[in-house]
Amino acid sequence: MSDNPILVIGGGPAGLAAAKGIADLGRKAVLVEKEEYLGGTPIKEKYAALTPDFRDAEEAMGEMIKAVTDDGNVEVITNSTVTSVEGSAGNMKVSVQNGGSGKTIDVSSVIVSTGFDHFDPGEETQVYGYYEYDDVITLTDAEKMLKEHKFVKPSSGEAPESVCFIQCVGSRDRQIGNQWCSKVCCGIASKDAMEIKQILPDAKVFVFYIDLRAYGCWEDDLYWKAQEEYKVNYIKGIVTEITKQGDKLIVKGEDTTMGRPMEIPMDVVVLSTGMEPSEGTKEMAGVFNLPLESHGYIGTIGGPLNTVETSVPGVFVAGASTGPADLEDSVSMGGNAAMKACAFAMKN
Amino acid sequence: MEEKKSASFIGLDQRKFTRKPNKKSVDYRHELFELEEQGELEVIRVPEPYVEVTTKFGRTKKIPLQGGWHHKSCGQCGHIPGYPTSIFWLHRQFNLDYFDPKDQTSCTAWNYYASSASNVPAQAAIAVRNFAQAKVDGYFPYIHCGTSYGHYKETREQLLHYPELRKQVRTIMDKLGLPFAFPEEIVHYSEWLHVMRHKIAERKVLDLSNITVTVHPACHYHKLVPEDVIYDDDYFNGQRTPVMTAIADVLGANVADYSTWHDCCGFGFRHILVSREFSRSFAATRKIERMKDEANPDLLLTQDTGCLTTLDKSQFAAKAHKCNVGLPVMSDVQFAALAMGAHPYKVCQLHWHGVDHKPLLEKMGIDADKAWAEFEESLGPIKSGQKQFLTWEDV
Amino acid sequence: MARSIYRDRKYKDVPYEVKLDLFNQVKQDIRWKDFMKGCFECGVCVGACPTARFCDFSPRVITQTMSREDVDTFYELMNDMIWDCSQCFSSTRCPRKNSPGGIVTIMREVAVKNGLESAKDALKTYSRIIYKVMSTGTQVAPDMLQPDFFPDWGPNVKVVAENLDVWRRAIPPDTLHTTELAWDVSDKTKFQLYMIFKLTGNLELIEQVDEGIYDILGETIEELMDEYGVEADEVENILEEN
Repeated sequence: MSDNPILVIGGGPAGLAAAKGIADLGRKAVLVEKEEYLGGTPIKEKYAALTPDFRDAEEAMGEMIKAVTDDGNVEVITNSTVTSVEGSAGNMKVSVQNGGSGKTIDVSSVIVSTGFDHFDPGEETQVYGYYEYDDVITLTDAEKMLKEHKFVKPSSGEAPESVCFIQCVGSRDRQIGNQWCSKVCCGIASKDAMEIKQILPDAKVFVFYIDLRAYGCWEDDLYWKAQEEYKVNYIKGIVTEITKQGDKLIVKGEDTTMGRPMEIPMDVVVLSTGMEPSEGTKEMAGVFNLPLESHGYIGTIGGPLNTVETSVPGVFVAGASTGPADLEDSVSMGGNAAMKACAFAMKN
Repeated sequence: MEEKKSASFIGLDQRKFTRKPNKKSVDYRHELFELEEQGELEVIRVPEPYVEVTTKFGRTKKIPLQGGWHHKSCGQCGHIPGYPTSIFWLHRQFNLDYFDPKDQTSCTAWNYYASSASNVPAQAAIAVRNFAQAKVDGYFPYIHCGTSYGHYKETREQLLHYPELRKQVRTIMDKLGLPFAFPEEIVHYSEWLHVMRHKIAERKVLDLSNITVTVHPACHYHKLVPEDVIYDDDYFNGQRTPVMTAIADVLGANVADYSTWHDCCGFGFRHILVSREFSRSFAATRKIERMKDEANPDLLLTQDTGCLTTLDKSQFAAKAHKCNVGLPVMSDVQFAALAMGAHPYKVCQLHWHGVDHKPLLEKMGIDADKAWAEFEESLGPIKSGQKQFLTWEDV
Repeated sequence: MARSIYRDRKYKDVPYEVKLDLFNQVKQDIRWKDFMKGCFECGVCVGACPTARFCDFSPRVITQTMSREDVDTFYELMNDMIWDCSQCFSSTRCPRKNSPGGIVTIMREVAVKNGLESAKDALKTYSRIIYKVMSTGTQVAPDMLQPDFFPDWGPNVKVVAENLDVWRRAIPPDTLHTTELAWDVSDKTKFQLYMIFKLTGNLELIEQVDEGIYDILGETIEELMDEYGVEADEVENILEEN
């Protein structure tokens, strides 16, 4: 049995859940985070409210962060990255780099929870004009505004009369090599659409989608609610092109239910940009020699029945580094990985 | 403005696109050179000097400056002869070597896309026969037509990926006694113009600062096999091809945007010939009227045979329907030649175009009536039988 | 026997086997696996499509039909919709990487090859162009600019037609002094083009859609091939050999 601490890489929802789990099981954890703060994407991208429960993101994540930082069993090292590893199962020497200085930590097992990056809409093969028009924004830009309890047309600062969400930007697309559904965007767009309607009850809000994927209880909590209570317009058919006419954006696509081409003037377009393996995820796969699965995320070995174990003994994964994941997935995997990593340390 | 600033926290100022390689896009040249190594075909190398440009998915493309085997366009040569003439005139102005072959056929793709009365092996063999002739003549193919450019890119993909097709084309080329040749790059004339733009701008003789142009990019240039298409982060923040826009810009004209920039022209291949009401309505209402209403340009620039024909010829009938039309259309290369002082009729051959271009010429500082009188005068020796043809010396 | 899932079938039915044979010909095309993957009805193709804005045409319907392998609806599309496509390939943006325009190209090719009425109808007034491109190697000739053919293109067409000969001879590049073809194509090159048409069975395709054009084209081709010492009849279709 190794007494060395368990290393958790990445302090987002999955990593925080993992670190807290390890500590609760009575073992030491070292949490390495490359930013100067914990909380991962919800904090970095300034999410307003969490999906699906609308809880204030900063407050909810704050509690999670505090539970970790207040726990004496967890050592938090921010502004740092893991650069190399030596040794093997049960006794790994990990180099952690902090700016110019580095140190080596002996660890018993590792949990990689380095998450995802949002897709860059400039790489989209549809013509969405994110880099051409100020009023084309991404879901995360929308979250930043909603966090300030406002929603404006960025080019003028005025309240928009019409807003649309375009789903599957950077997801489900063979052209760009992202052949996965990013799972959360339909729910988040529905949540954001309702928040916009709360601020701007008179605004017309559309969601253009291919298949509306509000799975599980997100169905009526988010999708039906947005459609029935907030009168958000759901249109099956995504958008081909965005151009500009005067001070309005022009959204071109097909309403596939009606079988008719569309061309709608719009004040603000929100691109529901999907997930890609983060740079950190790709780097950690390199450092720990973790094979990637076919989409480029870190591969696990147990299929659907073991979502956190990799082919490298003692190295576990959690959250969106293994594939698109929502918060429920991420924290559940974090706990599962904590349990497995502790068990591994006890056996080796 | 105070409010506007209050939205700036979403980071509008930091939006700067950085091109990354597309995961799905492979550099076809590796496959091409591999086939050459295996003795399956000969690759016609881009001759020096060339300029390197960035393409949509980040690959660097070589655009040769001279040594072109000019793969002409049937529609341009037949109905818009100012296109090829302006291309050649510019080459002559810069003393760049070029070859204007008679051993060239059309790509026949206009017919293929109109009727489908052909098949893949015939289309591929026609492409390779032209390339083989370029190789024999010792020049590098420059493609004048957007459809030929698109079709040849498709043909390249097919030849690279279907061994059976290569075998068929090989059999045909053997029977013709020609090599199986394919160029390293498929280069469109407007790409050559694009890389020449600064040199052309240095020698411009007209002030174009009061000229507003709109641009129509050809679908077969930028949508069909898009990985070959030039993209430049200095224009449209890297989101649209800068070809045509950049030359107009460096020549000092104002380039105006409009809401159907990405739309097709309505050419339709068979439609322009036998279902013309579709082509006319589309061109007039989706393209010309939008441009007129939104940007009120002096001139529309385009880069392809079919687009120029459709956008120019469709305006006459639309006028009768009280559409807001009346916008002169020419190619980027005719505009560039005019800017460098080319004769609007003897070189740019604007009398073949439908829409009245005289007000435009006047605005550009060209005495259109005087130019026309000069052209008419130059026809004298032909009409009197003194000369059979005019030559470059005459213009 | 399968039958159309739609009750309002638009065309005179033919036996299922006939439709299936046509469908299989489409699927056997060398490009099929690259043009047709699957369709999740996103509508990107229709949003980009020029024809869909003016005609009852949908690249999505074509792709979805072929994705379902719905042989009956396929046969309906073969009878009309495929001829409305503009072949601009704006729909190549498809996120599933289908090529709706390319699927149409293949379907049209099969329609021509099998002499379908829709192909004959669609190409009725077009076949003079086929004659031009196949006989001269250039599709568009200056002498096609006749006010009779293009009354809607305005008075300039007439002016061009009247001055055609002189104006052509006033163009500086010496390849462009032609009026019957776009540029001066050498006989050797025309001969090579005819060889390609013969070797790939392209001439026989024309027989399917327009026998008149086929006959005069055949004569033109034979004449020049004769000059080059090749008996046109003896040039075999290499595609059939395989």
